[in-house]
Amino acid sequence: MAIVDIGAGLRLHTQRIGPRGDRPVTATAVLVHGLLTDSLASYYFTVAPAFAASGIDVVMYDLRGHGRSTRPATGYTLDDNIDDLEALLDRLEVTGPVHLVGNSYGGTVAFGYAARHPERAASVSLIESEPATAAWAGKLDGILGRVMHELAHNEADAIAWITANRSQNTARLAKGAARLARETTLAQDIPASRVLTEEEISSVRCPVLGLYGGDSDLAEHAPWLEAVLPDCRTVVVPGHEHSVLVEASGTVGGHILSLIHGATAAPVALAGADAR
Amino acid sequence: MSLNGQRIGTVDEEAVLADIAGMLATLLDEYGLDDVEIGMDTTFNRDLELESIDLVTLAGLLEEKYGNRVNFAEFLAGMEFDEIIELTVGRLVEHVVASLKAAEAG
Repeated sequence: MAIVDIGAGLRLHTQRIGPRGDRPVTATAVLVHGLLTDSLASYYFTVAPAFAASGIDVVMYDLRGHGRSTRPATGYTLDDNIDDLEALLDRLEVTGPVHLVGNSYGGTVAFGYAARHPERAASVSLIESEPATAAWAGKLDGILGRVMHELAHNEADAIAWITANRSQNTARLAKGAARLARETTLAQDIPASRVLTEEEISSVRCPVLGLYGGDSDLAEHAPWLEAVLPDCRTVVVPGHEHSVLVEASGTVGGHILSLIHGATAAPVALAGADAR
Repeated sequence: MSLNGQRIGTVDEEAVLADIAGMLATLLDEYGLDDVEIGMDTTFNRDLELESIDLVTLAGLLEEKYGNRVNFAEFLAGMEFDEIIELTVGRLVEHVVASLKAAEAG
């Protein structure tokens, strides 16, 4: 485990794994996780080992407030998260173009980084994610508003409902999310984030891959994303919802590896659970 | 610490279980839990209430102890999500023993 001090009292938990032995590194990928219940573990135990084995220098980190990173009370806008990613890559001395991968909100951060620094993005893979638009901010405002209402104000009832109707594991994650929402300005900051103009979005000229669960609301973004971006391909994975990264990691990882290694044909077979 | 379960056949498994129980005690101590019994049948999720980010920390402790002979991330990456939720200490012990034996043989 590495804790990287990015200044201003912020320490980001970072995991970096690469190919074994003397296999050369052919690319660097930065994987960004989602909001509230998520952490770098969603990559660490799914696609990261296969990425590293294929010759990729894989950088994973916990967003501020999440996982093992420090939790400041404020500073949770999208631009704050992009600033953190910039500072982290500076500290790690990752200077060349990187392949950005983001799950859910992590994809919005990854895309925002690519829009800010098109020359530093070799590719962007958005898993169940979208660029920051006014519609995105409005939707996040609704979701985070409900989280704050249900978990921060009626937490005991909400957790009891989740335990009864979902699982103990989900309930535990929800408790962690409630703490994060209560202790920080995240729920107010994210919807108030500066969003991208359509020109800024289409300025991302590197290859972009959009991956969506077929049963997710976000799948309907696929045609829009392909239309607005100069070089974009989308894949819809049937039978999955928003958790497609952890539930279908073999399929998702295979498509991303094909993009990173420059293949245009069938995805690289990846020995993930769902690929068997 | 109790060694419940009947699958402990070799000295190897006992030693590895003791190592892993020690690592888990370190992790649980951070949550103020210092008297949790850990045996082969203990589940990471239900019994120990560890979150996936705790398992990342455990992966680091395993690497410190066993080096690159054991790769916990690869072990979990080959599993279904539900299998990870049901993962027992015993299954990890068996994986570590098998990995160490493979490294010796190789």
